[in-house]
Order: sequence, then structure tokens, then C-alpha cells
Amino acid sequence: MDAPQQGNLSWRLSSHPITLLCFLGFRISSLLVYLFGLLFTSNFVLIFIITILLLAADFYYLKNIAGRRLVGLRWWNEVNPENGESHWVFESSDPSVKIINATDSRFFWIALYSQPLLWVVLAVLAIFRFEFIWLTLVVIALSLTVTNTLAFSRCDKFGQASNFAGGALSSGGIATNVASSMIGRFFSR
Amino acid sequence: MASSSNPYEHYNSPQIEDDDLIDPDDATLDDLDDPLTQTQTHSNSSRAPLTGNITTSSSSRPLNENYLTSRIPGEDRRAPTNTIDESVWETLRRDLLAVWSKMREVLYPKYLFGGSMIDNTSSFRGAYENLRGAGISGARDELVGLAGRALDPEALLAQGNMSEGLRDWDLWGPLVFCLLLSLFLSFRADSEQKSLVFSGVFAMVWIGEAVVTMQIKLLGGNISFAQSVCIIGYTLFPLVIASLLSVFSLPTVARVPVYLFLILWSLAAGVSILGGSGVVKNRVGIAVYPLFVFYLGLGCLCFIS
Repeated sequence: MDAPQQGNLSWRLSSHPITLLCFLGFRISSLLVYLFGLLFTSNFVLIFIITILLLAADFYYLKNIAGRRLVGLRWWNEVNPENGESHWVFESSDPSVKIINATDSRFFWIALYSQPLLWVVLAVLAIFRFEFIWLTLVVIALSLTVTNTLAFSRCDKFGQASNFAGGALSSGGIATNVASSMIGRFFSR
Repeated sequence: MASSSNPYEHYNSPQIEDDDLIDPDDATLDDLDDPLTQTQTHSNSSRAPLTGNITTSSSSRPLNENYLTSRIPGEDRRAPTNTIDESVWETLRRDLLAVWSKMREVLYPKYLFGGSMIDNTSSFRGAYENLRGAGISGARDELVGLAGRALDPEALLAQGNMSEGLRDWDLWGPLVFCLLLSLFLSFRADSEQKSLVFSGVFAMVWIGEAVVTMQIKLLGGNISFAQSVCIIGYTLFPLVIASLLSVFSLPTVARVPVYLFLILWSLAAGVSILGGSGVVKNRVGIAVYPLFVFYLGLGCLCFIS
């Protein structure tokens, strides 16, 4: 095997190999358990629970750990206690400080977008085979993965827009000063 | 599961007055703005969904770009690397603590016992002293007071706001308790009906949570959908105990009082969290009635299984 290029899909090039492998492991294992679990046991309840727990773990891992370590993005949902409205908060790492590994980000985005598509295919299959009992599980899986995908793609857009805005600000000296002192103040707790 | 607790609770969007742009060089720590107090005063503006366009807001919020989307109001925060690069353990610990704080609210339905969490111990101790000092009459006084607090929505509403822990919702509790409840209830079912019972209970719990939440929303409760599902999910904990007792085939005679107590415990937790935090003003009774029906239905399921 020749020397791998930067950005190739090889886990050896990753700067966070353990995070990446865990992330891919959670993503793939939930699908595998759903697809092939019944080969090993006929216990519906057991497969259901394992799949749900794997999906939940995948959701949590992607949202809170893999997202920020692999691509430096994070999102969450905040609720205004006065009127109960929720709104999204997106966070991105500063590109001048944190360098995103190209391999990591390719793995991340491919896994992020392919998973909902696979579950959509499985949902269609479940509908046409009249397995409505499994459809519950597929619907849960779809809602979890689609939420994460939407949130992260939006987070990415927001992050790029702030980079652009940050670049525009830095053209004026005073603006940079204001911005940096402001950021410094609000984060130096 | 959906939301880890927010690490930037005390962050607020840059709000800058003209005379406050740059701190003087000789300022001591006390002269600088305290971010904690600022969060209190500006919490309104920092938590509200952002509206408006970039030209009007750029002077005060250069990092918020909400012109990209109008469908989902959002906010971008550029974090320094030391927070987005926190260790995995820190993230896990914070979320586990958040889950535990919510569990604590369910274990001690605090609004029924009066006061906040901090006063709770003294309140319990006070009740105990009363019991010891005054004997039967003191106990009756305590019970009457408890019932009065439970039945008096105004007193519930008078108590403070929703606690920090419940504002940051997560779905770990609802998920785990729902799974456990369905699992325990399906244990005693016929072997060919196990999967049906399991998925039936599972769906019933989620649909019930959604219906109760819709009712609260329609009555004008200021709570988000996920928050309410989170609270109702956590208050299923006593019913999980009930279903566990069913698995160990508790005799029917013992079931009636024990299950009634567990249902009332669930209801007390639900009412004290939803009603006591001023979620639905003036309509606590009608808002929590479906909640009572929901708990009662699940309790009956536990009873007959």
C-alpha cells in the first residue's frame, strides 16, 4: 500500500483515532444489530432494547464528543424559561487555533449524511413488508439521526459564516480590538 | 439524551454599552463586570431567539449570523479551544450530574414539602419535630398542611421558578424508564405476546407523554415540548418500581396500597415540577388531570400484569 494521502478515508491518518473508531463503531453497530440481530436470537425485545440503547449512545457521542473533537462543532438546544421557547445554539472552534484533520472531517460528514439515508431505506422496507412493530424502532432511529444531521449541517454553516465575518472584522484595527477584548472578557471567567 | 446540560449557562451574548467597551488598565477584578450577575440581568436578551438582520445587530453581536436561516432561529458562539476541547470525562460528568439533579427532583417532590431544595431538609426535620412534639394532632396538622399545599394551586404557583436542572432537558430519563417499564411489563406476558406488550407499552408511554404535553401547551403553559416530555419521563420512576414489583409477583392484596402510593408519588413529582414551577398559571388542576390519567393507566397496567 502506497503512502496514504491527507484526507483519505483511512483511520491511520486521523488525529483522534480512538474517537473516530468509537464514533464509527456506534454508528455501524446500531444498524448491524437491527439488520442481523434476529439471526442470533429470536427475542424481539432484546434486539429492540439493544438497538435503542446503541442509537442513544450514538446520538450522545456524536453530539457531545465526536462532533467537537473531529470537526470542532457543537450544538445544543436552549429553552427560554420565561416563555418556553427553545432555540438552537451553535458553537464552532476557531480555525486559527484548532486545525481540523481532513480525514476526520470526511469520515464525519460521510457518516453523518449516510446514516439517515440508510434508515430511510429501512423504513421503506419495513412499510412494504408490513413489519409495523419494527417501524417504531426505525422512526426513533430516523428522528435521532436526522436531528443530529440537520443540527450539525446548520452548525457548520453558522461556523463558516462567523469565520467570514471574523475575516471582515479583522480588516479594521479597531474592530479587531473590540472583538478580541470582548471575546476575551466574556470567556475569561 | 438529546441535550447535554449547557456548559455556557453563564455566557451571554456580547452586550456592549459605549462607555463599557474596554476596561481600564488599572481595573481590579471587582471593577469588571461579573459575568454571573450579568447573566441574571440580561438573561432575557441572551436567551431570546435572535431576530432581525445582520446590519442592525452587527455592532453588538458580530458573531451571530442569523440571516442564513429564518426557519430555525439560532445563534453561533465562537468558543475558545479550551472549552470545545474539554476532556471526554468532563462532558460525561456534567451530564451525569444533570441527570442526577433531575432524579433528585423526582425523589423528593419538593414543592409539596415546601421551600426549595435547600430548605427541604429543615422542612422534613420540622415535620419530624412536629410529629414528636405534638403526637397525633401534630401529625394531623402536618398532613392537612401537606394536602393543603397539594390542593392549593396558588400556593404552588407562589413558589419560585423552574429549577436550573429542569430547564436543561435531556431524554435519558424518559428513554431509560420507558424501556424499563416496557421490559418489566412484558416479562409476565405470554411468550408469544411479549413483543406486542413491549412495543405496546413503549408506544403508549411516548404517546401519553406527547398528549399530556400537548394539553399543557394548549392551555398556554410556558414550557417547551421536549422539556415537558423530559419531566414526565423522569417522573415515571415510581411506576418503574411498581412494574418491578409486578415482575416479582407481589400478592394482589399488597398491590393496592403500594401501587396507589407509587402512583401518588409520581403524581406528586409531576405536579410539583410542572405546576409548582409556574408552568401553567391558574390552570394547574386541569393541566395535570391528564397526567393523573396517564399515571393511573400505567399503574393499572402494572397492577394487572
